[in-house]
Amino acid sequence: MQIWDTAGQERFQSLGVAFYRGADCCVLMYDVNNAKSFEALENWRDEFLIQANPRDPDSFPFVVIGNKIDVEDSKRAVSTKRAQAFCASKGNLPYFETSAKEATGVEQAFEVVARNALQQEDAQDFSQEYSDAININLDSDSSSCAC
Amino acid sequence: MLLDISEVINDSIGEIECVERVVSPRFFDDTTESGFVLVDMDARADSSTKVQLLFSKSKVYVHPTSSAKDNIPGYLALVRPKNASNTEVLLSWVPESSLAGSRDLDYYVKVDLEPPHAADEIGPSTNASNSRNTSGIREVLVSPPPRSSISSYAFSIPLSNIYSIQVRPPSFGWWWGSLILHTKTEETLPALFFHDSESQSTILQRKQRTKDFEPFANGDELFWGGEQFLQSLKNLAALETSTLEPSIMLVNPEPEDRRAFSPRSAKVQQPKEDPISKALKDVRWSILEKLARVTRLSRQVALDVIDKSPQSVKVLLNKPEVKKIGDDFDSAKVYLAKWALGIAEEAQRSRSKVVWNDGYEDIMGSAVGDFELLSVDYSIERRNEVGLAEWSAFFDHTGRLSLTVSEVKERIFHGGLAPAVRSQAWLFLLGVFPWDSDESQRRSILSEKRNEYYRLKGKWWNDTERQDDDFWKDQKSRIEKDVHRTDRNISIFSDSDTPHPDPESRFAETGTNLHLEQLKDLLITYNEYNVNLGYVQGMSDLLSPLYVVFQDDAIAFWAFCGFMKRMERNFLRDQSGMRQQLLSLDHLVQLMLPKLYVHFEKADSTHFFFFFRMLLVWYKREFEWDDVLRLWEVLWTDYLSSQFHLFVALAILDKNKDEIMEHYTQFDEILKYMNELSMKIDLEDTLVRAEILFTRFKKTVDMVDRKRAEQNNEDAAGQQEGLPKISDELRLLLSKEVIETKEVERPPNAGGG
Repeated sequence: MQIWDTAGQERFQSLGVAFYRGADCCVLMYDVNNAKSFEALENWRDEFLIQANPRDPDSFPFVVIGNKIDVEDSKRAVSTKRAQAFCASKGNLPYFETSAKEATGVEQAFEVVARNALQQEDAQDFSQEYSDAININLDSDSSSCAC
Repeated sequence: MLLDISEVINDSIGEIECVERVVSPRFFDDTTESGFVLVDMDARADSSTKVQLLFSKSKVYVHPTSSAKDNIPGYLALVRPKNASNTEVLLSWVPESSLAGSRDLDYYVKVDLEPPHAADEIGPSTNASNSRNTSGIREVLVSPPPRSSISSYAFSIPLSNIYSIQVRPPSFGWWWGSLILHTKTEETLPALFFHDSESQSTILQRKQRTKDFEPFANGDELFWGGEQFLQSLKNLAALETSTLEPSIMLVNPEPEDRRAFSPRSAKVQQPKEDPISKALKDVRWSILEKLARVTRLSRQVALDVIDKSPQSVKVLLNKPEVKKIGDDFDSAKVYLAKWALGIAEEAQRSRSKVVWNDGYEDIMGSAVGDFELLSVDYSIERRNEVGLAEWSAFFDHTGRLSLTVSEVKERIFHGGLAPAVRSQAWLFLLGVFPWDSDESQRRSILSEKRNEYYRLKGKWWNDTERQDDDFWKDQKSRIEKDVHRTDRNISIFSDSDTPHPDPESRFAETGTNLHLEQLKDLLITYNEYNVNLGYVQGMSDLLSPLYVVFQDDAIAFWAFCGFMKRMERNFLRDQSGMRQQLLSLDHLVQLMLPKLYVHFEKADSTHFFFFFRMLLVWYKREFEWDDVLRLWEVLWTDYLSSQFHLFVALAILDKNKDEIMEHYTQFDEILKYMNELSMKIDLEDTLVRAEILFTRFKKTVDMVDRKRAEQNNEDAAGQQEGLPKISDELRLLLSKEVIETKEVERPPNAGGG
């Protein structure tokens, strides 16, 4: 299993498209203390589906993770409830809250990621013939920041 | 260059006795012993056989083998036998050893240092026994130089026998500039290498030029001994640049010679390509490249080659000393090296007859496609680094540069800088100091710049309103995060023992240190200084080495700003600068490593993303610290190209192409492989390889252009489908002009992302 992290400032994210193709699972991650990063999730999801071009976009496995729950409550900008509502509206996406700093919840989240990826691979759900031209140019700027 | 005429005349007074002197018998003893064949032997003792020494250049070497220890120093001379016309003037090369102890040596030295006449006043000798001819020009008379020699390489031929001269200035893969003489007879003459740094007269001439001409013009080509020689030769013979091969000068060309060197005649038929003409063809790319290739041939192939050689090569190969070496298989390498060097001239001459016959694939195939870079026998050698003493010697007593900028850059490009020189030299390379500044100007620049930095820093430091801005806070946080993970293995950045000044900071608990805080302030200041661009990730990597070298925040800031001018396009919001470079790399790999490119196409890897980080921060994460400093100062010279970092990328691919093609067929595998090269790349090897690749790229472009022009001549309709397209991106790689692209204004509400 390979885990790719499309890290860095937003302007470098356009690089990520090269890695989307062939992915078996996509983790959408935001900062629970940063509302903007949460609001950008939908854009990231759409962007992924366009670039990865899976055969059945509606059932492609995404996992949503809200990170940095170690930060004091007063700074929390996105409630668990709000996040769960979003995940439900996108087809019951699994949702986890983690603290990478304190290693809370990370293992559970990635276990689900791995399971979903394996399932996806078994199903061989990807379009093999690439009937549509796939844009691998770097033109795809997304407009908000997830970092 | 005109000498002060009164000086010449004064000098000539002292010359009167020299023509009266008796020829040193030792000179001839030496020469006969070493096997000189003197044509005019019978007349040798007679002073009337003396020849007028018109030109002399010291430290012109013959390189009989690829080993530097075999090099033979000598004088290149133009001499006029008594009453001889210009076409009878002799072009001679005399080894130093044969002049040793003779009085002639003094005259060779003197004429070298002080040419006896203004070059354009060379006229036929009217009275050989006088020290001055009627026009008052001083004459220097010497014994006739040896006409030819088997063992010492000495030669002497009349200008009328020279068909053409191939001119290879220094640089572009040739450390020493050289000339190759092509004779009209079958005679094969050794290539002449001008060791300019050893030749007193060339050094003086360079200094003179630096004084006389615009010394700081960047495009100024390196002055070298061969050029000086050609200037003198021009007064004796018509030199015409070949339209087919600009490096060839035709000497007193006849109309048919011109045709032979014009594109039209290049289509001469050659029935079947034998190994030798294939080898000959390759010669054009570089003798040493071929040397390396030839030494890999088995003996049988070598013999095969000899059997099928053109007559002139057979003549050469049948020379006793060549034969002797050839019989000894263990020495085959030396033998073949000699052989290759010997036929270089032949190859150049034959080229007009054979090269362009089999179409582009053949030429490109042998020259570009399957080319193998060998780990031995590089024609390009890296030099030792510029030390403090050498650096100081570049400047006169006022602290003004006394070399041309391109000479200094050439030196840094090939050798790099010693650590002690960097804090000075980098300020020139990064544009903080103008190249033509003197010491006192630089002092005032430093003090102005220092004040300016503290003013810029104070501006945001004291601006509480600014510090409340969301964008500013976002950027500050990003900078601090990055600074705390940049080069922490470097000693000055490693400690965290200073309490953090800001209890709100994410690093309040972990602590910080003075240098990390300085880096942070520097980057925040840059964020305010270049407000459209702002801080972007990767910049901390670019700043840190500068900070460590200067250990002075204000100086480091301006050096960083200089560096950022050329790096700004890497960080643009729309990534257009990075895209452009990846595209150029794509074209470069298509042209230079076509097989690898096909492999990349199959592996969906032609976006070259695995070079993104390398190009973004100039291999900062790929090389060890010391190598990064070396690499950057080399790249800052723009000596061959302002885009040399792309040739570094090409070199890395070239080095790893077999491994990649053999084992990795998926994009992620290739990416992983490339990422894991980090800290395992040999810098010196990479730089040599990059320079060779640049040279080959340049030659390829030249050749394609020439070939295209030739086809246009042949057929207006143009059958050019076989020729590769040289894109604008590729042409731009030949430019030394730094590409500076500024970020556009930051849109309102745009974050720091």
